[in-house]
Amino acid sequence: MSHYLELSKFFWLSMSITYAFYFSKLYTYLTIPELNVELNNVDQIIITMKLATVRLGIVAMVLSVYPVILFRFFKYAKYLTVALTALAVAIYIDDVFVLTDVIQYPDSGLIPLIESFRPIMITCLLLMSIELTFRPVPVGLYYEK
Amino acid sequence: MKNKNINDLELSTILGTASDEFSNDKNYVVQSFTFRLTLSFINLYALILIALFFMVKGNLVLGINNNFLETGFLSVLNSRASLIFLLLISLNISAYFNLGFKYVCLTMMVYMINSAIDNAVLFSSFMHLTDRPYISVFNVTRPLFIISLFWVFIIHKDKKKITKNLYY
Repeated sequence: MSHYLELSKFFWLSMSITYAFYFSKLYTYLTIPELNVELNNVDQIIITMKLATVRLGIVAMVLSVYPVILFRFFKYAKYLTVALTALAVAIYIDDVFVLTDVIQYPDSGLIPLIESFRPIMITCLLLMSIELTFRPVPVGLYYEK
Repeated sequence: MKNKNINDLELSTILGTASDEFSNDKNYVVQSFTFRLTLSFINLYALILIALFFMVKGNLVLGINNNFLETGFLSVLNSRASLIFLLLISLNISAYFNLGFKYVCLTMMVYMINSAIDNAVLFSSFMHLTDRPYISVFNVTRPLFIISLFWVFIIHKDKKKITKNLYY
């Protein structure tokens, strides 16, 4: 299927890294042992986990829809990728600059490791968006149904 | 003064061609009235929202319950107001130059949805709708703002439609 889309290897690599990141994140948050959560700042951690659960629900939905959009409705994949990049950047800016005093991620388990990989995932999403936005449109080929 | 060396046919050809195909004045896209109206609404809504944030920050308006501002909500309001202001400036610049408007609009839409989800999850437990009625009005009407952004995203015209010149 990929040769019909004529996307570069960087795109597929970026997409794989993004999927790997989100699957790891889903696994980490779903299997976090309750005993490992620190006892200080319990309210902040509880509220952070609540927010993370809502965000992961959205991510799980998008991860399952994205391949369908990419392969069946390629015309809209560009806008969906840009929207996802904007969402990832908005969440990152929110966590780092806006909600600094309100939320706190637990320092236990794999969570700090996963969170440290977030800029890499954002870079991958940016690469995907740039490729889909600025790639040359081939003449005489039909991509959409 | 008319140049005697140019006849009427040549003159009309020069004027006609210059006014239609080589005119820089027509080299831009005219957006629809609905687009301009919706964009004005978006600007007005965002500016009132930002002004309200700064009024709450400066304690210029009284609320029934002031305690929730001490729970970190004020710093969140402050940062959100600055970010929305930056996004609004970007939206207007991209609309003026007709460059990447859809992407900026999409980014703003996503940011507003994300901030609405954040507010609903983080602050819904200790903030009631009647605590600050004017903030609640904006929270309740936020879907209207998001719908307006989506509508503007759909009806925005990127490129000038190529029309055949029927006269030549």
